[in-house]
Amino acid sequence: MNIPLEYILVLSSSLFVIGAAGVILKKNIIVVLMSIEIMLNAANINLVAFSTYYGDTTGQVFALFSIGVAAAEVAVALAILLNLNKQKKTVDIDEINLLRW
Amino acid sequence: MSILEYAWLIPVLPLLAFVIVGFLGGKMKDNGAIVAVIGVGGAMVLALWTAFEVLTTGVVYKPESMEWVVLSSDYSMEMGVYIDSVAAMMLIVVSFIAFLVVVYSTAYMHDQGKRQRRYFTEICLFVGVMLGLVLANNFLQMFIFWELVGLCSYLLIGFWFERPAAARAAKKAFLVTRVGDVMLMIGLFLLFTEFHSLNYELIWGNLTTADQTTLAFAGFFLFGGAIGKSAQFPLHDWLPDAMEGPTTVSALIHAATMVNAGVYLTARAFPIIATSADVSLFVAAIGGITAFIAATMALCAPKIKGVLAYSTVSQLGYMILALGTGAFLWNQGHHEAGSLAFGAGLFHLMNHAFFKGQLFLGAGSVIHYVGTEELSKMGGLGKYMKVTSITMLISCISIAGIPFFSGFWSKDEILAMTFEATDVNLWFLLLWIMGVATAFMTAFYMFRMWFMAFKGEPGEGTKHVIEHGGHHHEAPIAMLLPLVILAALAFGSWLSLFIGDGFYSVINVEGEFHALSIIERLEEVFSSPLTWVSIAMAGGGIALAYYTFNKRRISAENVVSKGFPKAMRQLLLDRYKFPVAYDKIGYVGVYGFSLLLDKFDRYVIDGIVNGISKFLIKAGGVVRKSQTGFVQNYTTLLLLGVSLIIVLLYVVGALR
Repeated sequence: MNIPLEYILVLSSSLFVIGAAGVILKKNIIVVLMSIEIMLNAANINLVAFSTYYGDTTGQVFALFSIGVAAAEVAVALAILLNLNKQKKTVDIDEINLLRW
Repeated sequence: MSILEYAWLIPVLPLLAFVIVGFLGGKMKDNGAIVAVIGVGGAMVLALWTAFEVLTTGVVYKPESMEWVVLSSDYSMEMGVYIDSVAAMMLIVVSFIAFLVVVYSTAYMHDQGKRQRRYFTEICLFVGVMLGLVLANNFLQMFIFWELVGLCSYLLIGFWFERPAAARAAKKAFLVTRVGDVMLMIGLFLLFTEFHSLNYELIWGNLTTADQTTLAFAGFFLFGGAIGKSAQFPLHDWLPDAMEGPTTVSALIHAATMVNAGVYLTARAFPIIATSADVSLFVAAIGGITAFIAATMALCAPKIKGVLAYSTVSQLGYMILALGTGAFLWNQGHHEAGSLAFGAGLFHLMNHAFFKGQLFLGAGSVIHYVGTEELSKMGGLGKYMKVTSITMLISCISIAGIPFFSGFWSKDEILAMTFEATDVNLWFLLLWIMGVATAFMTAFYMFRMWFMAFKGEPGEGTKHVIEHGGHHHEAPIAMLLPLVILAALAFGSWLSLFIGDGFYSVINVEGEFHALSIIERLEEVFSSPLTWVSIAMAGGGIALAYYTFNKRRISAENVVSKGFPKAMRQLLLDRYKFPVAYDKIGYVGVYGFSLLLDKFDRYVIDGIVNGISKFLIKAGGVVRKSQTGFVQNYTTLLLLGVSLIIVLLYVVGALR
């Protein structure tokens, strides 16, 4: 039995919006990072869903790549955050505005 | 195979010497003097041979010219050689005098040590480009060489550049002649737009079909170039200052050759000038005025070279007067008289080059001996400088216009032609009177100079030299020989009138005229009362100088001690305030205008540029506030933007 594509799309867009809301609204920078991961996974779900829908495995391979890249990215991001935390002694994103004018 | 095919080598030889002396002269024992002598001597041999070939055969040598710049199918500039009798005569004068001066310089500049390299380099460059100027077959090529001789003049006037006066004189000469050169360029532009080429023959051949107003302006502006280069009124004031250079330079450049370039240009532009009576009259008037005022300034010049410099300006004025008169007569339909006047001008150019070259070299010899230029410190030199004093006497007689010396023939011819033009236009009567007065003054100031230098009581400088017994010899043979040769020519160059068709072919602008034999010419000249007037003037001038400066019957000091003569003398010493006027024009006019432009540049041009940058900086200051540094702001905006695009795409897609 196949799950209709629409269901999966609704799921992925819901996840995406939740992630976006988290990125925009959350004050804790760790949570913001996690929200970004949620958005990434929404995209991955889309890739897999369309891959199955068209019967083409390329999308699934891409999803694997995407997860791999995301892992690397999170590693880098966490390293940056760790250093940032050492300097600023905070995880509040509103406190971190080094790149302003 | 004729020698004419090698005519292009004439300027190349001195230029080759220029390169060799310039790069290797310092390594040579004589600082390149011998290379310069060989280069200029070779050019002289070739030039004399070429001139002989052209003058005797009467053929105008004009090989196919090379296309240099082709602007479009009908606008082109070329490079080529054109030797007619006028150019041939110039070749003789320039190459011959240049050779003698270079030989003379080897002795005269001997005490200059390593500096001689620079001297000979610049002299070789000058001779090369001057010969190139003469050989050009179009006005543009002439103009290029014209500027180069100007450059050489600048370099050589400023030869002793560490002297402030020399540096100033060089700058002045360069800038003042530049005024004329700008006029000349305007003339060239006019000719180029009218004829689409600057070739002499092409222009001369199409004068009747061209626009007469343009031609008149072109003639006027071309003559403007001559005013600058030949030191005509009102741009004459640089030449007396140019005497700051070595005397040999004054002899070669500022008496015998470069200043004649202006006359040569006027001769080349003669057919153009002759198309307009007004311009011709203007040329003649400038010549007459220059001859007159320069002669007055020579009357009381304190330095020996100063006298000669004013005299040069005055004699150049005579030449220009002759050419202007010729153009006027030609314009009025008197073609034969017109070309006679034209020939008289060029004849005077040649004679003047010889006797003035001689006088300057003689003055060089005198200065070399006494070590001063002040006439009042000389005196009594005749006893110690026999060759110099006698050869200079010959030249003085020649320039004064005593019969059978060359200066007499050409000056008399010029005055006769000016008087002839009186029939057509009364202004020429005034010019003739000025010319005759100039003849009187010429005789007076030349003999004033001669008597003051060579006769009478020994002056300060003379005594000093004799007491210290420094020079018992008057000058080395390399200096005396040119003096003697030039003195012989100062007497004898008039004989060229009678050598076959020789010089007479210069006199003919076109058409066949009857060349007079010696007897006919003598008859014609001496049967005219005008001749006796000019002889009387010359004799009177010499007599006055004799009684004033040799016999001392008339005391010059008493005459100028008070009243009008004193004021006049001061005015003459101030050169009619011309230097002051130049400075005024320079400082107030040009400098003031430049200051105005500077203000415009500072406040308007810079204002616009700085204003734009200030605006951009301010605007940037405002806009950069959007860079808050809060990551969430950026993300929000990004998401909003993307959403907006999606919505828009959706809406547009729906509307399709």
